[in-house]
Amino acid sequence: MAAQEYRAPESVGRLQQRALTVGGVALLVSILGAVRTPGLFYQSYLMSFMLILGLTLGSLGLVMLQHLTSGHWGIIIRRPLESATRTLPLLVAFFLPIMFAGMKYLYGAWLDPERVKEEPLSDFQQKYLTHGGFITRAVIYFAVWLLLMALFNSWSKQQDANQTDRALRRRLKMLAGPGIILYVFVMSFAAIDWVMSLSPHWASTIYGFLFVAGQLISSMSLMIAVVVLLARAEPFASVLQKRHLHDLGKLLLAFVMLWAYFDFSQLLIIWSGNLPEEISFYRTRLYGGWGVVAVIVLVFHFFVPFFLLLSEDVKRNAKVLPKIAVWLIFMRLVDLFWMTRPEFTSRAMPTWLDVVLPIALGGLWLGYFAFNLKQLPLLPLGDPKLAEAIEHHER
Amino acid sequence: MERRSHIYGVMGEFATPEQLTHAVEKVREAGYRRLDAYAPFPVEGLSQALGLKRNLVPLITLLGGLAGGVGGFGFQYWVAAITYPMNIGGRPLNSWPAFIPVTFELTILGASLAAVFGMLALNKLPQPHHPVFNVHRFSHASADRFFLCIEARDPKFHLADTARLLQSLHAHHVSEVSDD
Repeated sequence: MAAQEYRAPESVGRLQQRALTVGGVALLVSILGAVRTPGLFYQSYLMSFMLILGLTLGSLGLVMLQHLTSGHWGIIIRRPLESATRTLPLLVAFFLPIMFAGMKYLYGAWLDPERVKEEPLSDFQQKYLTHGGFITRAVIYFAVWLLLMALFNSWSKQQDANQTDRALRRRLKMLAGPGIILYVFVMSFAAIDWVMSLSPHWASTIYGFLFVAGQLISSMSLMIAVVVLLARAEPFASVLQKRHLHDLGKLLLAFVMLWAYFDFSQLLIIWSGNLPEEISFYRTRLYGGWGVVAVIVLVFHFFVPFFLLLSEDVKRNAKVLPKIAVWLIFMRLVDLFWMTRPEFTSRAMPTWLDVVLPIALGGLWLGYFAFNLKQLPLLPLGDPKLAEAIEHHER
Repeated sequence: MERRSHIYGVMGEFATPEQLTHAVEKVREAGYRRLDAYAPFPVEGLSQALGLKRNLVPLITLLGGLAGGVGGFGFQYWVAAITYPMNIGGRPLNSWPAFIPVTFELTILGASLAAVFGMLALNKLPQPHHPVFNVHRFSHASADRFFLCIEARDPKFHLADTARLLQSLHAHHVSEVSDD
């Protein structure tokens, strides 16, 4: 057992090829949209970008969380998590179109001098929300995430070779605590820059946390789907047990509740305050067509997964749990649609680009993720608790 | 005056949790079903060895939570929208976001009360006395010894045979448990 290498099965290679093909074709098709309707294109692009950013950064958060807690659940998914964080260079590449071409279509409310004249910004906003500031800050955000990603991945790889090295283990733990704080902090600023600034006259202090909680849901959902897929073949078939799925399901339930708690907190505070400049966010989003989307998010992003995941049988079911997980990733997209799109249109209907672009960016992301998954053993061989984590239990 | 003494069962005492779990497995293999194990701390695998089935506590908890949540929301709705309607800052009478925190708290309250009292009721607690306390050494069950009691209700129960079976499983002491 100990000498096993835990290479990724061939199905990962097939997944990589298919995802890259589908994603590549969809990206080519979407270029048509970029040429003909660049405004609509970048609205969909931002939404899709935030979704895959969630898969990557949520995984970075979970990597650090698992180093802090050393739970068995985390050891099982550590390598898939690390593979997801290593897609960050792709996210940098995907951000370039927004930076160089998309900004004027998305952030007109503070970028376009005409619109600023109509609805003036505060002094601070005029200094903070500038073209240069936006780009400088984006560089800083990506630098912080890339640094964390590089450190956790390279130390984890070193650990495979030096299994007795306790110092590495300590170093991973020492960085994980401050790293989580840094991730949440930087993500808050990024959410303000990239999404909240779509409507610069509205502000919410819990906004960044909404994204962090959503990212944790996205990443945990992906991990559940990935481990169940991996368990169709060796070596994961003899590693993954019901107790692992149970733990991952419990965490997914916790993240769904955390997200609902943050989302509702924002509504409750704004509802209680009832101030004109704050309530605008919900005036556009809770009535008419967008109200229907809001109900869909409430019911299918919270109530349905919540009640399903309450059941122990569901959390231990390798057929049902991944379906809920994939469904939640889709609901993340719907939630991002509901968060971003009402700033541009009162029509609560997706365009064809809202279908093609998530497939394009998601497909390329998944292909890169599968490629990363093949690079290292599927389990962290140097983790001192590995044997314990994959030991077979009756329950 | 002869008073007929009933036998509640036979009890074996074990020194380690492993011996206890092993004994439970063997006794169940031998066909006994009416038995219970006693240990000073939770022993991993013991519930499975005893073949304990799922109980109703989760369902009772869910129902308690639902009752608390529906009741909590319903009560606020009844007060704020029906019996004492008041315009607060122009919000609708059914100002539902404001009702959610109380609804949430009452869901938790209902669920936890249902869990605790449901558990007590299913365990038939409080119960001031139990026949196993008739065995003098049973007080060690909360300190350093592990006990297995096979009840006389079991169809396979036979005083001498059952005691021998426990002895063969390395029980230190095997004692009869009287019912009075």
